[in-house]
Formats: sequence, C-alpha cells, structure tokens
Amino acid sequence: MIPDFEYAFYLWTSYGIFAAVIAWQFVQPRLRKRRIEAEVREERALQTGSYE
Amino acid sequence: MIWKTIKVNFHRLGSPPTFYRLAQVLAPWLWAGFAVCAAIGLYQALYVVPPDYQQSDSFRILYIHVPAAWQAMAGYVVMAILAVIALVWRIRTVEIMAMAGAPIGAAFTFICLATGSLWGRPMWGTWWAWDARLTSMLVLLFIYLGIMGLYAAFEDRRKGARVACILILVGIVNIPIIHFSVEWWTTLHQGATIRLFSGESTMHESMMPPLIWMTIAVKLMFGAALLDRSRNDLLDQDRRKGWVQARLGESA
Repeated sequence: MIPDFEYAFYLWTSYGIFAAVIAWQFVQPRLRKRRIEAEVREERALQTGSYE
Repeated sequence: MIWKTIKVNFHRLGSPPTFYRLAQVLAPWLWAGFAVCAAIGLYQALYVVPPDYQQSDSFRILYIHVPAAWQAMAGYVVMAILAVIALVWRIRTVEIMAMAGAPIGAAFTFICLATGSLWGRPMWGTWWAWDARLTSMLVLLFIYLGIMGLYAAFEDRRKGARVACILILVGIVNIPIIHFSVEWWTTLHQGATIRLFSGESTMHESMMPPLIWMTIAVKLMFGAALLDRSRNDLLDQDRRKGWVQARLGESA
C-alpha cells in the first residue's frame, strides 16, 4: 500500500532519485565487468585464433 | 606478534589476486547488509514515523538527504586516508581504491544536493540558495568530478592516480568547511540537529531509528560499491597478466 503524503511530489521524487542512483551504482560495475571480460576473451581469441 | 600479523596481512592485500578474491567474497555480503538495513530504514521512514508538526511529511526526505550528506563527507575522508597510504607506501590496490571512491562519493553528493533542493522548495520557497552549506557541498561535488577527470586524463593510470591523490589531499580542506559552515556563517541551512559527541540532539528520539538504519545502509553500500569498482579497475589494468587470464580461463 502506497502511503498518502503531503508534499508527495517532492517526497517521491527524492526517493526516486535515491533509488535510481543506488541502482546505477549496483548495475554499472557489473556491466563494466562483463565488458572487460568480453574484451579480454576477444583479445585472447585474436591471439590464439580460437573463438571457442 | 599481533602487529606483525596485521602488517603481513596488510601487505598481502596489496597483491591484486588476493585483493580481488577478498573483494569478490565481501562485496555481496555488504550489498545484502545494505538491502536489509535500507528495507528496515525505508519502512520505518515511510510507514512508522509520524509526520513532523511543522514540516509535515516533507521531513521524510531527510532520511535519505542526511545519510547521503554524511556519506559524501565520510567517503571523502576514507579516500583521503587511502590517498595517504597510496602516496607513502605506493600500494597499487590502495591507489585504485582511492580512485574508485570518487564516483560513489560524487553520487552521494548529488543525492544530497538534489534531495536538499527538493526539500527546500516547499520549506524555504526556493530550489537553491547560495548559502555556505549548500555552496561548500556543491564545491565537494566539483572536487569529486575533478578527481575523476584528473585520473582519467592520464594515459599512465598510476601517474594519474598519484596526481589525483594529491588533489584529494588538497580538497580535504573543504570537509571541515562543510561541517562548520552553519556555525561560522549565518546560513539558511539549519544548524546541526544531531550531535554525536557534544551537546544534545534536537531531533526527537522517536524519529531517530530510520536515520540510524539508513546511515548504516549507505555506509555498507559505499563499501560494496567501492569493492566492486576497485575489482573492475584491477581487472582492467591487469587484463594481460597471468592471474586475470587464469581467472577468466576458469570462468569461461
């Protein structure tokens, strides 16, 4: 149940910003790790000629 | 004997594979701790605590604004300590950790400024005022961005980290300015409400628990994000080294 607050726009926007920034702090390092790992595998495949 | 063990373990953390493994184990626990503390804190902030008699429900914004502000400053102090260690002992993992703290600190400073502005509009009647507390907090955001920019500007990451560490130490002067700004100058921003060491807090004790939970939550989150980002930087810098190749070989 969503509580009915006075100044709801300001309150929920604040909590929304907080949630979005924290979520980005969680997601961004995971996306970067996947990208780095993919690049390392790509480099290795180019050197060895094996894409398995 | 104990001192020697601490010293050996401290230096062992300087080994990238050891640090990577430790961060890999610790980070999920810190994220889990954050999730639990934040869930309790947010529940209490939104459902349990009654509205303030003057500010009504708008005061609930402070349950994210205040912990974010504290963490923005505490994060900077952590980075300064890491910068000193990095400059004195030249430990690469510590340099990486000092640099990894900047985007997280910037994120908390942004949360603090944005939520403060959203609270200020209905309470002060303005989104922004050039008062000492707000301006010094904005300067902190610029310092964080400056550290990130300076680090990224160098092709040699170690040289970039060392220069950025010096900037961190120069920028530490802003932390006491932020803290004491409400005492040194006449500001629109209120004075200290919660006093840990001297005097009595002016916040009623029934309103304190969510603040404590959220403060613990953001501290755990800072630790978790710091380890996540440090691991990535290590992986990126050591991508051609044997331990990374072996690790990726295992996970392939």
